[in-house]
Amino acid sequence: MTFWNDPINYIADWLRGVFMGWGITAGPANVITALIGIVVIILFALAIAIALVWVERKVVARFQDRLGPNRIGPFGLFQPFADIVKLIIKEDITPAGADKVVFNMAPVISLASVILIWAIVPLASKIYGADINVGVLYLVAVGSFGTLSVIMAGWASNNKYALIGAFRMVATMISYEIPMVVALMIPTIIAGTMSVKGITQAQSNLWFVFLSPLGLLLFIISAIAELGRSPFDLNEAESEIVAGFHIEYTGMKFGLFYAGELLHAFTFGGFMAVLFFGGYGGFFGLEKLSAFAWLSNPFIELVVFLLKALIGYWVIMWVKYSMPRIRIDHMLTFNWKFLTPLAFVLLMMTALFDKLLAPTQFYVPGMFLSNILLAWIVIEILRKYSKRERIEQEKPAEPVIQAAHH
Amino acid sequence: MTTPAPVETLDLSTLLPGFVTTDTRPGYSGWVVDKNHLVEFASKLRDEFGYDLLTSVTGVDYLPDDKMEVVYHAFKTTGGPVLNYKVQVPRQDPIEVPSLVSVYPGVELQEREIWDLFGIIFTGHPDLRRILMWEGFEGHPLRKDWKEAYFEEESKPFKSRWPDGKIVQAENNNKFSDNIAYPAGFDPEKWIPEGEDALYGSLAKYEYTSQDGIKNDHIVVNLGPQHPSTHGVFRVSAVLDGEIIANLKPVMGYLHRNHEKIGERNTFLQNMPYTDRLDYLSSLSNNFGYALTVEKLMNIEVPERAEYIRVIMAELTRITNHCMALGALFNDLGTFFTPLIYLLEERELILDIFEAVTGSRMMCNYFRFGGVARDFPEGILEKIKGLVFERLPKKIDEIDRFMSDNEIIRSRGIGQGILTAEDAIRFSATGPLLRASGVPYDVRRADPYSIYDRFDFDIVVRQNGDIYDRYMVRLEEMRQSVRIIQQAIKGLPVGEFQTGKPQYQVRVPAGESYGRVESPKGELAFYVISTGKPSPWRYHVRAPSFINLTPYGHMCVGQKIADIVAILGSIDIVLGEVDR
Repeated sequence: MTFWNDPINYIADWLRGVFMGWGITAGPANVITALIGIVVIILFALAIAIALVWVERKVVARFQDRLGPNRIGPFGLFQPFADIVKLIIKEDITPAGADKVVFNMAPVISLASVILIWAIVPLASKIYGADINVGVLYLVAVGSFGTLSVIMAGWASNNKYALIGAFRMVATMISYEIPMVVALMIPTIIAGTMSVKGITQAQSNLWFVFLSPLGLLLFIISAIAELGRSPFDLNEAESEIVAGFHIEYTGMKFGLFYAGELLHAFTFGGFMAVLFFGGYGGFFGLEKLSAFAWLSNPFIELVVFLLKALIGYWVIMWVKYSMPRIRIDHMLTFNWKFLTPLAFVLLMMTALFDKLLAPTQFYVPGMFLSNILLAWIVIEILRKYSKRERIEQEKPAEPVIQAAHH
Repeated sequence: MTTPAPVETLDLSTLLPGFVTTDTRPGYSGWVVDKNHLVEFASKLRDEFGYDLLTSVTGVDYLPDDKMEVVYHAFKTTGGPVLNYKVQVPRQDPIEVPSLVSVYPGVELQEREIWDLFGIIFTGHPDLRRILMWEGFEGHPLRKDWKEAYFEEESKPFKSRWPDGKIVQAENNNKFSDNIAYPAGFDPEKWIPEGEDALYGSLAKYEYTSQDGIKNDHIVVNLGPQHPSTHGVFRVSAVLDGEIIANLKPVMGYLHRNHEKIGERNTFLQNMPYTDRLDYLSSLSNNFGYALTVEKLMNIEVPERAEYIRVIMAELTRITNHCMALGALFNDLGTFFTPLIYLLEERELILDIFEAVTGSRMMCNYFRFGGVARDFPEGILEKIKGLVFERLPKKIDEIDRFMSDNEIIRSRGIGQGILTAEDAIRFSATGPLLRASGVPYDVRRADPYSIYDRFDFDIVVRQNGDIYDRYMVRLEEMRQSVRIIQQAIKGLPVGEFQTGKPQYQVRVPAGESYGRVESPKGELAFYVISTGKPSPWRYHVRAPSFINLTPYGHMCVGQKIADIVAILGSIDIVLGEVDR
């Protein structure tokens, strides 16, 4: 074991050795090493969040035909640091009517809920926080934790906009959690495990996106809703309820919400990669050839993972900056009448075909074609239905008949 | 559009014998109606003669005659010239005039404004509160005997500003100087503004039953005055049942500077740059309206070349305004600035042209009585040609392609915030708001001014009167404006751009004049009364954004919170014009 092929364990062993050399017994030494590991992962996540501020601003500028930050540092790379300094030196306000404890706790919980997810993010085959065998379940459970922070912020701010934003968020979360869970079930069924690392390894020969493209679509839609990004950014709704739940927050408290949101989006980009695009691996068996063995190096895998996560994050941004906001009743209708039923049908279909075709050579084309078929049927039904509705809606009103006077 | 019978053949004096007389003052026209028969007269005019669009109501204070007058301007939506009638009342408080809200609901906000600024009480008005000034304000500022603090002189230029050749600045006249300490015992943190009770009291009067039949508590939410989507310092007070709007009132006046009072102090020409500040996104249209009105009074002709230049500039203004309006509407619908910035790019290119021609990008101050301030500079025609023949048509198509079929734009727009044709006319809506409701009424065709009768263009009409239709009307109007500019450039003659010598002090004969143009926001009209003096006796702006807000509450009730801003965006207001 060298640093280059297993860095985490190498450092951990060395640390453990150092601590035990100081006369600490094995138990506490393990705990201290693990705590250091946690801090390192948190710092890594936050460093990524800082980089994401720059990425987000630069990418949106390109979408909007602008240049974006370009004054501080090369390509404006140090802009996030200026932002952070600005946020820190702002006055820290807690409104007089606010519930102080809850109000101040909310941003911390918001960021914490995201960082908790990072415990299971498999950055590389040898670089990860924990590999728990119910990883997918953990993702859903911790993700809902973020909702709590929104409700806390909305309620404790004692502000009507914040409250409206918070109850919109609750409506979104309760609704979109269902297709989300179902979409997560699909890789679980195919891989036969809930461990995210297990799911990644199951894709070493073939990405799951080829087995369930529709599952990916469901996951993206429900992830965007879960994140509260446009077109589902009802909880913030800049143009209606100003900033929604975080309207009363200033300075770094607002900064925590902001960093939490960006990191959350990036994390979901990462999970998109893990669940459907082979995560850190998935080189289609290439790494088994001796000429490409270097692909299994943990550092290469880390870069691959981050790149894939960035692409997922870019897709989320792409949608955000080119879509108007959906209205709350339309959003709920879309979820309950369309997305949820579709998700359940897809889940049943995946389970069925997975068992039916698994041993045969028809497995991959069968799964893929069944997905496409389902998508086609759904689109046809939808087209028929919406056409009927559209004709109904767009029926021109009776033209005004103007009485001819004089 | 049929040519309506000339209004002169109407003999309204037989309508209510003895109570309606011709206005015989020199320079005046129209009818004087007895105030007790006003409602009857107005309903007859609407029902029997087809004057269904009462665009403007305003007051005039004839202090020397000891009279107050309320002036009404009515039109037919089928087109034709103005019919104005007046009610004269003695100038002793309480001054009472019957309200016309029951006949034309569109006068609601205008009558509130007259009460606010003139102190004329409209009996029967459902919600007669101050509108531009704050509740608790003493006096009625447009009365001729009202003097503001540090009053200097009746009309400009103030000679007191340079006694003995030394210039005195107005801000130095304030004897408190820069001492802005609060009065003793006044704590701004604990101060509760007066007048909110009146607003909330009138807001509480509504009939609304929740859709699920459950009795819910309703909350009052104020959007604004500081809000990203009210397009300025505008406030919306709404009663909400969950996400649904039960009642809604617009609250305005935060940007009020009493444009009309200042206008009555200025000389006629001094008002020209001041009209730029009304609808600051389309200053050239404002110039156009004011120039037309005063030219009508002065009875002068505008040279051919100036007419073409005016039309080109006014139509370019319409394109810039609609770029801004559509971009802001998309923003209100939640598209984080992306389409807005694409549209602003086109607007910037047109502003470049404004800068080259007028010297200013937004506050153009370009029109003069009897022409324009200066001729087109060299090479500008090529620039305009490049825009209107090549770039703009492509870009408008691009926006159409990207946005019109967007599923969310459609679901947010179609069937939302409906204003039926009947309601639109009743509420005196004009401009794209009225045309999206299915009424083909455009001043450029209905009552052609300048040289608009020479151009070939279509009046854009859509039938449903919802947010989506207002968007489509604006988009299509941009295409029509491009068409007009293309024709105007081809027909642009060589010649004078100004009648006579440019002069600082124009001589305006006594009389009244109501001049109107189709501004991008709707019918923009000026009502000017001259007494032959250097400054107007009365200078009234019929502001389309302001009057288009009258049906706002009506459109919003029953919709969701998200629609408050979307509907406001589709009305397209500019606060400089709403608050004046």
